[in-house]
Amino acid sequence: MDATSDDDLCTALLVRVARGDRASLGELFAREAGRLIAVARRILRRSDLAEEAVQDAFVAVWQRASTYDGARGSARAWLTTIVRNRALNMLRDGARLDYVDDDMLEHFGERSADAEAAYAALPDREALKQCLGQLDASRRRSILLAYVVGFTHGEIAADLKAPVGTVKAWIRRGMIALQECLS
Amino acid sequence: MTDNEQRMARAGDYVLGLMSEEERDRAEHDMERDAAFRDAVLTAAQHFHKLDLTTAPEPVPDQLWQKVSERIASLPQMQAAETAPASPSKPRVAANARPKRFGLHSLGGRGGFAIAASLAAACAIGYFGALATVTNPQPVVVVVLDTPANTPGAIFEAFADDSVRIVPLEEFTVPAGQTMQVWTLYDKAVGPVSLGTIGAKATEVRLQGPHLPLPKPEQLYEITLEPSPGSPTGKPTGPILVKGFARQPARS
Repeated sequence: MDATSDDDLCTALLVRVARGDRASLGELFAREAGRLIAVARRILRRSDLAEEAVQDAFVAVWQRASTYDGARGSARAWLTTIVRNRALNMLRDGARLDYVDDDMLEHFGERSADAEAAYAALPDREALKQCLGQLDASRRRSILLAYVVGFTHGEIAADLKAPVGTVKAWIRRGMIALQECLS
Repeated sequence: MTDNEQRMARAGDYVLGLMSEEERDRAEHDMERDAAFRDAVLTAAQHFHKLDLTTAPEPVPDQLWQKVSERIASLPQMQAAETAPASPSKPRVAANARPKRFGLHSLGGRGGFAIAASLAAACAIGYFGALATVTNPQPVVVVVLDTPANTPGAIFEAFADDSVRIVPLEEFTVPAGQTMQVWTLYDKAVGPVSLGTIGAKATEVRLQGPHLPLPKPEQLYEITLEPSPGSPTGKPTGPILVKGFARQPARS
């Protein structure tokens, strides 16, 4: 099934979830949970935490499906946003992840490789890929590290061995150029 | 930086997840009022979502859905809903062309919007949640129904919420004491299922049908002529006025 019909099916299922149809939530879960765990794990690294993020997100979807607005983006994007935000909150909630800090540092290189892999895996016809391709490497890398693996400005600075202020400027300038290219 | 650049930079920080909690709250608040900022966020988010689709799905532990189910069952509103009497599923003509509103939407207008937005902030769920408005979904399938003379006689749009919008393309002759009844065949084993009647006059109407599986491409739809107030047997008995097979609309 191609991405467009997946999108349509998710949207249709979400409309049913909004009407209180729990079986449709189950179908949505069956179709999307595996992909969403993968998205969350790129950010959280650990499968158990990624699964927890997805679990929280589906409870939130059940409660909030009626606020989904089909005119403003696909249901899959909406679903993924809820999972990403949940994962980012868990990541930023330092206390919970303290004990994996060493692990996180150790996997720093692996994480930036994940960000590059996601970019490489974008189909060439995607406008996002073409526009990211026009940015210079440090801007592109900063943006990908933030979105794909959830790095903070500080972590990106450490990865790119650049001052935090410089990284902030790269990202802001990069995102302006990117949006101009995409529009 | 121009205002426009400022806006794009801020939308970027929001979509990338680089804002502090306070900055994000402020951004979500501004999205309610500033359409240009909201559009910038949504456009960027939709493009960046492509990166989310580059992952290979991971195994889902067996008990994960179980946990979701249990948490949902223990939500206060679920317990209330489960003790409430079941709503009648009898087909009826929906008075309003819009899908039924549930939850926060039932509050309507700005009030519902504001409450949804503050809940989104409280749950830190994010911008799509904060942008609550009435859902206006696309049809799942579209059907062009032909008359026995092979001319287009009606167009149907079938939606995920079990409603069907019917646009007649010609006048049908309906004898006194008869009515037009709308049917679909989603499963041969079940046979044709009535979606409701539309009377004797062909006008644009939206029927709220019974709860059925999602409409699929190639699903049969038809209108037959039946004695008022509808087929006595619950299955089509009269002549077919129009019939057609569902198609999935092409989307960009």
